[in-house]
Amino acid sequence: MNTALKYRRIAVTVFSIIAATALQTTLFVRFRPFDAAPALVLLVVIALARHLPAEFALFTGFAAGLLEDLLSQSPLGLWALTLTTVAYFVVRARDRMEEDSALLIPLVFVLTLGAITLFAVLGTIFGEKTLADAGFVRKILVPSIYNVVLASAALPFFSWALGVRQPANLYQT
Amino acid sequence: MWRPASVDRPTGVFIGLIIVSLVLVTVDLRASGAGIGATLREGVQTVFTPVQRVVAAGTRPVAEFFEDLSDIFSLRGDNRRLRDEVIDLERRLVEAESLEHRVAELEAILGLELPEELDSIVAQVLAVGVSEFDHSRVIDRGRSDGITVDMPVVDEGGLVGRVVSVTSDVARVRLITDPSIRVAVRIERTGETGVLTGRGSAPMVLEMFNTDAAVVEGDILITADGRFPAGIPVARVLEPARSEVGFSLRTIAEPTAEVTRIDFVRVLVFTRDQVGIQDLEDLERPPIIIPADQAPAEGESEEGLPTDTKFPTGEGEGEGVTGQDPGTTGGGG
Repeated sequence: MNTALKYRRIAVTVFSIIAATALQTTLFVRFRPFDAAPALVLLVVIALARHLPAEFALFTGFAAGLLEDLLSQSPLGLWALTLTTVAYFVVRARDRMEEDSALLIPLVFVLTLGAITLFAVLGTIFGEKTLADAGFVRKILVPSIYNVVLASAALPFFSWALGVRQPANLYQT
Repeated sequence: MWRPASVDRPTGVFIGLIIVSLVLVTVDLRASGAGIGATLREGVQTVFTPVQRVVAAGTRPVAEFFEDLSDIFSLRGDNRRLRDEVIDLERRLVEAESLEHRVAELEAILGLELPEELDSIVAQVLAVGVSEFDHSRVIDRGRSDGITVDMPVVDEGGLVGRVVSVTSDVARVRLITDPSIRVAVRIERTGETGVLTGRGSAPMVLEMFNTDAAVVEGDILITADGRFPAGIPVARVLEPARSEVGFSLRTIAEPTAEVTRIDFVRVLVFTRDQVGIQDLEDLERPPIIIPADQAPAEGESEEGLPTDTKFPTGEGEGEGVTGQDPGTTGGGG
């Protein structure tokens, strides 16, 4: 990977995580169709992990999660654990995703659903009472559907922004 | 460093990061919201606030446009409902004027001292929580504006929540709908007390300890909790209460405040009553504040405690005990 591309990827990664977090926390203050919002940071982590070198993708997931933890009241590390897991699954599945692009959208749905469920279960284990939320099913389903809708635009955009034409090698660092 | 042959480098990094995350969770939970976690949160929130302000300023018109668009669909129904409400309100206004006159007369007779109007700080919601399970809002006023932790937050409808953390420029408000929040309330109509528990986006649960209490649809619940000024509307009962295994009455209630769509709020400059107040969150049975204006019954002291309490001796068990658990009377000393 040449130096210019490397710096471009770092810049795109940092900027997109900060922008997604800022949008996530401000855009949906009052505009919440079906009383839910897309999981933008989660979507960005999926989009970035598709193309970044494996270890960088994992650290990106961890850092994005840590930022979410620091901007919320949930225990520090809960989102970090969740988004690192998401990045790991994307890293593992991305070769297959690139071979069969029809898998992309269902995978975004499954990953979003799985990640929010994982967060809710871990939150309950660590005393956050997330599963006590009576709107639990809607709160994992609706953001997953929103992410699927947004993914059709976000995934090609991030491929372009990261300067990727071919999928990154799984073990490329 | 030892590494099994089957574990490749990304998997090793993944396992390492998971362990780091779990250590962070443990350390943060042990610190109970203080320590390095709190310092980091305050620092990151302070750094991130300008970013949020810029993005909020840019996205607010977009969000409002979509919000208005979605509102159009419900406008026709709202119009019809509002017309009916106007007729009903006009009728109530006439009744209220009459009641107001009577209350003024009674107050004069009783010589009641009404609580002074609380100071308040108007704030706007700057940001929401990062996930659907984060029932908190970030408001654009902080320590430099006089806001401190624990202050109650209200909107035009009633209680919204309370301040749980504060930086110099912003404060975080935990909403009353958070499942970890329990608020002691009183039914405005009857004075009966109970506890309201948040359930996220679903209606809150009201639990009344007096199984004979009459709770009907539309009853307004007001604060009766030392953390908040008394008498703030909290929720409206949605269904008549029903008894659950004879120990308590349960029903559901919706917040009177527009909790999910709040924009401007008022932070009440209110310091919690120090007498008998505990942090009610995570307690199974929060203490209920006894109304100060209830006259002590015959055989009770000024504090409302029975003066003639006798503990069961085995003979004629229960005799002389006025329906109170001896352990709660404090009479054993």
